[in-house]
Amino acid sequence: MSAQLVFAVPSKGRLMEQTGDFLSQAGLVLRKVGDTRGYRGEIEGLGGIDVTYISASQIVAHLNAGSAHIGVTGEDLVHENISNADDRIVFLKKLDFGHADVVVAVPQCWLDVKTVSDLQAVAAAFRRTHGRSLRVATKYLNLTRRFFSANGLNDYRIVESLGATEGTPAACTAELIVDITSTGATLKANGLKVLEDGVILHSQANLVASKVAAWPAETKRARDAMLDRLWLAGQARF
Amino acid sequence: MGAKTPRDFEALEAQAQILLSVFIAAGHEAVAPPAIQPAAVFLDVVGESLRGRTYVFTDLDGEELCLRPDLTVPTCRLYLERHSNAEARARYCYNGTAFRFQPEGADAAHPREFRQAGIESFGDLKREEAEAQTFALVLSALQQAGLRTWQLRIGDLGLFDAVLAAAEMPERWRRRLRHQFGRHEAFRAELKSLTTHPARSAAAVPAAVLDALEPNNPAGAEQRVGDYLDSAGIELTGTRSLTEVTDGLLSITADAKAKPLNAATAAMIDAYVDVAAPARTAGEHLRKLLGKAGPDVADALDAFERRIGFLEGSGVDMSTVDFSAEFGPNLAYYTGFVFEVVAPSLGTASPVAGGGRYDSLLKAVGAPCQTPAVGGAIHTERLLALVSGGKR
Repeated sequence: MSAQLVFAVPSKGRLMEQTGDFLSQAGLVLRKVGDTRGYRGEIEGLGGIDVTYISASQIVAHLNAGSAHIGVTGEDLVHENISNADDRIVFLKKLDFGHADVVVAVPQCWLDVKTVSDLQAVAAAFRRTHGRSLRVATKYLNLTRRFFSANGLNDYRIVESLGATEGTPAACTAELIVDITSTGATLKANGLKVLEDGVILHSQANLVASKVAAWPAETKRARDAMLDRLWLAGQARF
Repeated sequence: MGAKTPRDFEALEAQAQILLSVFIAAGHEAVAPPAIQPAAVFLDVVGESLRGRTYVFTDLDGEELCLRPDLTVPTCRLYLERHSNAEARARYCYNGTAFRFQPEGADAAHPREFRQAGIESFGDLKREEAEAQTFALVLSALQQAGLRTWQLRIGDLGLFDAVLAAAEMPERWRRRLRHQFGRHEAFRAELKSLTTHPARSAAAVPAAVLDALEPNNPAGAEQRVGDYLDSAGIELTGTRSLTEVTDGLLSITADAKAKPLNAATAAMIDAYVDVAAPARTAGEHLRKLLGKAGPDVADALDAFERRIGFLEGSGVDMSTVDFSAEFGPNLAYYTGFVFEVVAPSLGTASPVAGGGRYDSLLKAVGAPCQTPAVGGAIHTERLLALVSGGKR
């Protein structure tokens, strides 16, 4: 059992459907094992693979911990949750679905802010007026810190937000946000605008392999058989 | 790293006893502030770069706490608990664990858990003397612990501020330069943009609206900005008021209309931040460069030379000290004299000790007024690795 390849796929929503579509284009059919409401499955006709259905953010954690060998997850989640991604995972293929951008957005009424570099002046003035730093609501703590640090912005404070982030500026629980958006419509509806150079990451769903999982010969064979079917045979250098 | 074996632990403990005894003998009272601190204090004073490396957590009461990333802020808080008016003189020393996430992965020179031994001196009005004493005492402790070779670097953020204050330019341009201090390329780029095209931003309004704003008529400007928001169908949301947004736009117009920074002034600032010289001769060099820069700079230069005098008087071997105008540790709270001790084998990325003046910090953590404060701390794991000759 322990040599089974663990393949983690999203457990719900559009991502789950699109993952199924991607696999079926290659003639691979996912099938649940046991109860149809359960979280385990297999790929028809491919032995040695345990399919496990988990949420996209959990998939990253499993790849990082080595408890999943291959998984489908977004680049945003990988870069947010793994600080040394190159050492721990390999991106095998961009899947051309789940497109979204991680962006810096501020209230539309901030007419004096167009680019990220404008935020420094706002942060300084804000501290003089309000006696504290700008609050940035986000669930992307690491991406935000890396991006702002690369852009020379240091006087801000992150407020962790796990939902409805785009509502925080209007609710006055944050001044600006870093969030994921696919069309920008939700941001606009909340009176926010994306800064001109405020795209931190273009993300999409990826097929990702864990470098830190155990890869005995048997698991590698299962991997090669699977990647072969996905026309990715040459990708398996880990 | 921390102590991996009982032997490491004993070696660190023995070393800490030596360091503390030097500090105590010089009149510093040993204190032990708590390792768990309210997160908000650190968030506001250390800047997000260190905050990003701080272990923050929420306890069962929902209070946001952190494991202290350094001991200076906890020691300031302890001082304020004892002296809430922040007027008393006090000198403390400590040896305790600090915690920092290491984004590149923890290693022997960058452990996520390390012990700092250090001193802080509050309320001492004889500034340069207190600075020299602090620096000399840290060096003396390092020497007692067995460190033989080092390179010393000092800087002076007060002198930098005086140079900026003497240069004719709007205060907001000084802030822009201050913000880039210590970042060699970015500082020069900012200086260059001030001498050529000071306008930092194009603003997110039509040029016609921006041009119509008059800096000396803020009320009228606010009216115009409000009208523009209405006409564009943009709602005013969030914490920043119409006045604040208008002020931001007014600085942008002012920058666009301002005469760029005088080239000679920029050259003087550029020449100043470029100064890197042996500390003994730096004063003379700086006087030649800045002698005509006005009374504030003259005062700062006098302070610089008084400090060098006190350092010589306290027995610091000045041939090992370099002054660098651009040197300022990567902590937001320093305001004046700064120093660091580097061992050749560890390099500048891993100083063995460092410190300086931080006059604004006590106020930032709750004191009613600014209070003179100067201190220094030793990274004890690095020190032990150095004095035990890398055998460990």
